[in-house]
Amino acid sequence: MSEPAGSPEPGAARPDSTRTGPGRLLIAVYGLFALAATARAAVQIATKFDHAPVAYLLSAFAGVVYILATITLAVGSPAARRIAVVSCSVELIGVIAIGTWSVADPATFPDATVWSGYGSGYGFVPLVLPVFGLLWLRRWARRTDSQRTIVTSAGRRGTE
Amino acid sequence: MSSVNGAVPTTIIVAGLALAGYALLMTALNRRMGLVLLAALGVLEILLLVLVGMVVAKLAGGERPASVATLIGYLIAMPFVPLVAGFWGAMERSRWGPAVIAVAGLVAAVLMVRLHEIWPVIGV
Repeated sequence: MSEPAGSPEPGAARPDSTRTGPGRLLIAVYGLFALAATARAAVQIATKFDHAPVAYLLSAFAGVVYILATITLAVGSPAARRIAVVSCSVELIGVIAIGTWSVADPATFPDATVWSGYGSGYGFVPLVLPVFGLLWLRRWARRTDSQRTIVTSAGRRGTE
Repeated sequence: MSSVNGAVPTTIIVAGLALAGYALLMTALNRRMGLVLLAALGVLEILLLVLVGMVVAKLAGGERPASVATLIGYLIAMPFVPLVAGFWGAMERSRWGPAVIAVAGLVAAVLMVRLHEIWPVIGV
């Protein structure tokens, strides 16, 4: 179906929140990882915690961070976006730090976590995801800034 | 020990990858969600439900994988993949709707490989 001519739909042309446009895809993948990491950690901690406690606790932590990122990206308010930036940053630091740790000291990680081997067990998606998340959030920060600039310059013009 | 017929998981892998390819093409062509994608998701949903039924029948027959909890988690989560992707993608009125569907197709294919790892009697 084609759009009727002469009726521009701003929502279709330009995402109007962090959960629309590319954000829709981002949240879908984040939701998937939130579920995968949390469920896996829950099963591991419940059934064989002593086998690899460090790996399982890190999996659980990763799961919580993914849940937080999924929810805050979906909410998209300025406060939620700030929490999302922190979540994505923690993820990026986590995947790099744990990835390096797991390569340097494989004995601590007899079982894989989402972040071990830089996320190699998950097609390196855990490494790429926070980068896209941060880029998406930065676009929003810029857009809000430019809107604020337009508003303030308009206000200034009004007072002149 | 008899194995679950590998035809269904193999069909799911092929269907999932084909769906992902078609959905990504729609994203590249800047198309929105359409009926074709929703119908394809419906087919994927039916295939996944058939597989869940087959695996549950095997469990009911008394056979067990090494990690029953993980398998049951997969059986519960699997049918939600096309459903959730369908709703989430249909809400998006841009090229990113089909992109969500592409993820669902890829996930369905990956799930088959993981199922085989969890319980090798489930053929691929």
